[in-house]
Amino acid sequence: MDLLNLSIRELNNLFVNKKAKPSELYSEVFDRSASSEAALHAHLSLFEETNLKKAKNSDQRFSNSENVGLLDGIPLAIKDNINIKNEKTTCSSKMLSNFISPYNATVISKLDTEQAIYTGKTNLDEFAMGSSTENSAFGLTRNPWNTDYVPGGSSGGSAASVASRSSIAALGSDTGGSIRQPASFCGLVGFKPTYGTVSRYGLIAFASSLDQIGPISKSVDDARIIYSAISGHDSLDSTSINDEQIDMPFDKNATIGIVKELMEDGISEESKKEVDKVINILKQKGFNIKEVSLPLIKLSISIYYLIAPAECSANLARFDGVRYGLRVDGKTSYEMMENTRAEGFGDEVKRRILLGTYALSAGYYDEYYGKALRARKKMVDEFSSIFKECDYLISPTTPTEAFKAGEKTSNPLEMYMSDLCTIPANLAGLPAISIPTGLSSSNLPLGVQIMSKPLTDNSLLNFSEMLEKELDFNRTPEGWSK
Amino acid sequence: MSEKFDITNIAKLASISLSDDEKQKLSSDLSVILDHVQALSNLELDTNIEDVYIHPLEKELVLDQDVEKPSLTHDEALSNAPKASDGKFIVPPSLE
Amino acid sequence: MNLKPTIGIETHIELNTNTKMFCRCKVVDTEEPNISLCPTCIGLPGALPVPNEKAIRYITLLALATGCAITKKGMFHRKNYFYPDLPKNYQISQFDLPVGENGKLEIVIDNEKDYVEIERVHMEEDTGKSSHEGTGRIDSATSTSLDFNRSGVPLVEIVTKPVIQSSKVAVAYIEELRQLAIDLDISEGKLEKGNLRFDANISVAPSESDELGTKVEIKNMNSLRSLERAIDYEIKRQSSAIENGESIIQETRHWDESKETTTSMRSKEGSADYRYFSDPDLPNMVLSDEFVNQVKDSLPPLPHENRNKLVETGLDLSDANVLSKSEKWILELYFEVFDNTKDSKATFNWITGELQGQMRKLEIKSLPEWFSPAFLSDVIKLIDENKISFTSGKVILEELIQKDTTPDDVAKKLDLYQENDESAISEIVNEVIKDNQDIVERIKNGEDKLVGFMVGQIIKSSGGSINPGIAKEILSKELNL
Repeated sequence: MDLLNLSIRELNNLFVNKKAKPSELYSEVFDRSASSEAALHAHLSLFEETNLKKAKNSDQRFSNSENVGLLDGIPLAIKDNINIKNEKTTCSSKMLSNFISPYNATVISKLDTEQAIYTGKTNLDEFAMGSSTENSAFGLTRNPWNTDYVPGGSSGGSAASVASRSSIAALGSDTGGSIRQPASFCGLVGFKPTYGTVSRYGLIAFASSLDQIGPISKSVDDARIIYSAISGHDSLDSTSINDEQIDMPFDKNATIGIVKELMEDGISEESKKEVDKVINILKQKGFNIKEVSLPLIKLSISIYYLIAPAECSANLARFDGVRYGLRVDGKTSYEMMENTRAEGFGDEVKRRILLGTYALSAGYYDEYYGKALRARKKMVDEFSSIFKECDYLISPTTPTEAFKAGEKTSNPLEMYMSDLCTIPANLAGLPAISIPTGLSSSNLPLGVQIMSKPLTDNSLLNFSEMLEKELDFNRTPEGWSK
Repeated sequence: MSEKFDITNIAKLASISLSDDEKQKLSSDLSVILDHVQALSNLELDTNIEDVYIHPLEKELVLDQDVEKPSLTHDEALSNAPKASDGKFIVPPSLE
Repeated sequence: MNLKPTIGIETHIELNTNTKMFCRCKVVDTEEPNISLCPTCIGLPGALPVPNEKAIRYITLLALATGCAITKKGMFHRKNYFYPDLPKNYQISQFDLPVGENGKLEIVIDNEKDYVEIERVHMEEDTGKSSHEGTGRIDSATSTSLDFNRSGVPLVEIVTKPVIQSSKVAVAYIEELRQLAIDLDISEGKLEKGNLRFDANISVAPSESDELGTKVEIKNMNSLRSLERAIDYEIKRQSSAIENGESIIQETRHWDESKETTTSMRSKEGSADYRYFSDPDLPNMVLSDEFVNQVKDSLPPLPHENRNKLVETGLDLSDANVLSKSEKWILELYFEVFDNTKDSKATFNWITGELQGQMRKLEIKSLPEWFSPAFLSDVIKLIDENKISFTSGKVILEELIQKDTTPDDVAKKLDLYQENDESAISEIVNEVIKDNQDIVERIKNGEDKLVGFMVGQIIKSSGGSINPGIAKEILSKELNL
């Protein structure tokens, strides 16, 4: 039976009705990930041994009707910046090539109680810094739709894994679009939840005030199932929140805003067309549509590239060769630390650390970081007032379809610009989702992004699911079955 | 921009040793980015620092009770140490 | 040239919470390394800080006790610097929004009240401990070993304004701050254990100048004695440099206990630039009025309040200061004994002199259970009423500390009650006069100091039971002196 294209709910139905077993699913998943690995390199590790046992235990639970929930026996891929106890967490960095985490991230503890299975750890841009999964110390990942192209980043490994059906769904992390952009490039759903609704404990921090873990999946429902399993207040994360979800209409009573600034220069015609397609569907269904303007979005890349590097310059200071990870010796501790960091970090990571160090340094703080903080606050206020008149904001997820491997590696700024549409949601802590809408003229997936106000994650998922049905994208990259 | 960008000092603060080639390459990359973010300097901002929230949702901190919770074992804590001896992490001399 | 020194002091006090500042690892006092650790306090990737309510409460207590204004909407900052015993290579601290600001601490100098102005009171987390193998300087050191048990232990930092003028005031300030921390029960306050650590910023400028001179930071002072000496040395060093027309370099210097000098610490290339910024892992900390009022209500009597109460009993400020720095039971004993004796000076002297002296001699830290405060007031009263001699009082006290008995029982058993009946004493006095006619003659001829000898003879013939005052009085009467 071809189980790999099924949704989590469909798979669970088969398990419950004894028409398929988790171990059968796991074998299919493992075969697919192993056979696609050479062409895609989506994974940094695959956990075959322990998983077969876990899958068999799951078989047992279903046969005894002791299964715990929708994720029981479902193989998920985990981005390799999320700690799983007793497994390597490398962040695709030489710095952590030998680091074995002695503890679980909260999301992993939560998935453990759901009895989910982890297929392996997925490739990413080193320390989640990048938009193409080319900045990995362990080799780049390729797009399953066309291996000349990047899968996006930084959660490119997770996206390539799900798109090639090497896992049923995956966890990614999103700091400036790292879930939504690769999901869009790979024809998948990528959901970045409201900041603070999913614990960051055990997620190796890039920029703490922006990072959020979320699912990459084939469908909105799969994303919802994973989100409901991993979200919730965590006393180990001081930024985790305990608030109730806010319900919003997701039928034609909802008002839809088209973000003017994300339909202008710098956005390809093809990307804009996908938004138009979605708007036409909504118009036909009787939704109230209006164009809205958030002028600060134009500055979001500038704000982001001061705040994220500043936070990362401190977050990555702990990688010093003293307590774990790579050590390159020196005559003194200070030399050892400098040598270790020189050897352990790749170019992009160094660039961002140095940029952040500079933005915080004496004499420049007010001009750079201080200003960015205040501009961010103003952007949050802009969103608040827009959400008084709109329920959902629609824009392209990415300015273009996926680009070719090597195309943007020599120009950091051009690479940064590809995050233009996704960064604002991180700056404002908003829930945002990318859903696939169609294929470009070069047969590569395109998607649209929908944002809503904080704590309306469930409504956003409901709204997206409605759109998903109307769009009926339902396409898979070819060439990955045996 | 680039003339006030003292890459040597910044690298020292960030504790990363850089070759001269790297210094030159990174300086020029960073100058381009800094020129771009310069767009912010024209922005009129009146927000007081006391009005700035750390949390994007403007949440306040919740304090935790002073009650012990289980920690790592000694062996777990040292399990990744590049060098350890007698239960301690060992590094090259750090005296000034 | 007339020069004046100005000193500011930064003090770190280790709080006696059960768990660490940002994780719930137990605070341990042990030589066994690396046994109380978690992902957060060794800075494992992905670990996050969760602040300790009790530590914030303690810091607020200290801020209120020093009269600081409480910052209602505060935040935490990261102070960035690389050091192997700092796991994250940044320390979570507070920068422009500390818990408390603009307070003052009352101290006592030479029987006078004085005040040291406090600039700020804020939270910090402690680092791990480094031990250096080898012989000291970097060239000979072979390696450094690290124990992170202390990493993340909560500290409160108290920074004075640059207002202290001498080492004497500096020492009095630290003594007062230490006592405050102990009375607030927020720290053990043991200097020898590093519970309380201090650095001094010292500058010297012409007396008439309104501006401060270049400041030099002095580190590594481990005792009050080294604080005093380091300050005195540094003032002298800077003064003579200025008098010789040299300029002072802004730097950090190390107090060398064995050489009794300060030496320049080799400064790292590029000056310290800590790149403080708000910690994105910790949302803004809002201290509600309810919280602050609750903390305020829990304030115990403070050292300066104790001093005021002691002065009301009649003690001078200097003695009151000594008692205010004593252990709590001594202070309580003082008030209980004073209530009975109404004699502040005698009560003070007996407690701080005899009682504590004997306890030291016997190497005991607290009084035995049976020792009631009434015993001490009884002894003081018996002496005051001439029923026993001062010397007998000491003997009785010694017995009371060691045996479960009463002052009366001891006095009776050792026959220490004095003869106070005048006619009986007159009889003995006349006897002694008869036996010492030559001495009496010399006294009458003006050799006053021989009166003492006669009193001694009288007490001796009585077998020690005569009150010397009364003996002298009757002797003078008999000899018409």
